[in-house]
Amino acid sequence: MSLRSQLLKGILEGCILAIISRNAVYGYELSVKLQEYGLTVSEGSIYPILLRLQKEKLIRGEMKKSPSGPNRKYYFLTEEGAQALEDFQKNWEEIKPPVDSLLRKETDHAQERNDQVE
Amino acid sequence: MHKKEMIKSNNEKRKELTEENREYYEDMLLYIRLSYSKSELDMEEVLAELLDHLLEAQSQGRTAEDVFGNDPKAYAEDIVGELPTMMTKEKFSLISIGILGFLGVSALFTGIGDLLAYIIMDQSEPTRTIHIGSSLLETGIFIPLAFFFTYVTIQYLRWSTFRKIKRSTEFIITFLFGGAMFLVYFFLILFLPEFGPELSIPLYVSVIVGIVLTISAWVLTKKS
Repeated sequence: MSLRSQLLKGILEGCILAIISRNAVYGYELSVKLQEYGLTVSEGSIYPILLRLQKEKLIRGEMKKSPSGPNRKYYFLTEEGAQALEDFQKNWEEIKPPVDSLLRKETDHAQERNDQVE
Repeated sequence: MHKKEMIKSNNEKRKELTEENREYYEDMLLYIRLSYSKSELDMEEVLAELLDHLLEAQSQGRTAEDVFGNDPKAYAEDIVGELPTMMTKEKFSLISIGILGFLGVSALFTGIGDLLAYIIMDQSEPTRTIHIGSSLLETGIFIPLAFFFTYVTIQYLRWSTFRKIKRSTEFIITFLFGGAMFLVYFFLILFLPEFGPELSIPLYVSVIVGIVLTISAWVLTKKS
């Protein structure tokens, strides 16, 4: 697997944990919420991730009647899941500022180079 | 929910899919269900989720390809890769059902065949003499062989799921494979020498044992 997709997978896992921590959701609902936040991943890609999160016992699924009628599998965060979410948040906050500033400097440099050429 | 109910509800719901979506989904379903070492309940749960999702997407005008991507095999493999493996208990019950069914059907057919031969062709006695040593050896070889053939069949089905194979090719493959299987059994019976103490079994006993074993295998299938 490429570094890019591994990185994205990790981030997507964290985001899924965050959504489930707010409300128990079922698969389709989850994909809609991700899209509402602007995370346009292909819809189907959430199911392998949900299976993995269940295997790691970070979430658990429960068959329940949905308001619209049919039985659906709702996902809940476990205690381990809450811990994992906290870790993800911490890691994200640590990595975000340096990466942001690094990328900003890169574009600044690029800008400067462009200016010199002109 | 029970596994059987889930399969039934899946069959019902699938009818609501458009033809294009149904084809896509059913290929995936077959491929996922053929991953025999995975927990069946978890398998049915995720299949139900995928179907519900697809139905909802379909009602909004999206296709299976929009939802699961344009490589159904890769997607199905992703799902199978993340499914938990079957528990030892579940595996054990599946294998014992296989063995029971195999022994039951073998005993039943031998018994009925011998009985018919006795009635129609007026053969000597209503008993069959078996040699305990060679019979045990035969069973010991046949059961693993039967599992091996089942395994090869499943592998073939998985391999062929996402390929469009011509009917004629499929027929030839089935014919060759079936023939090879028959020949192996045939030569084993022909060339295995008889040894061990002899035992005379009345034919009706073979039929009764066959019926009992087949029914218990069937009951176990219903329960699991």
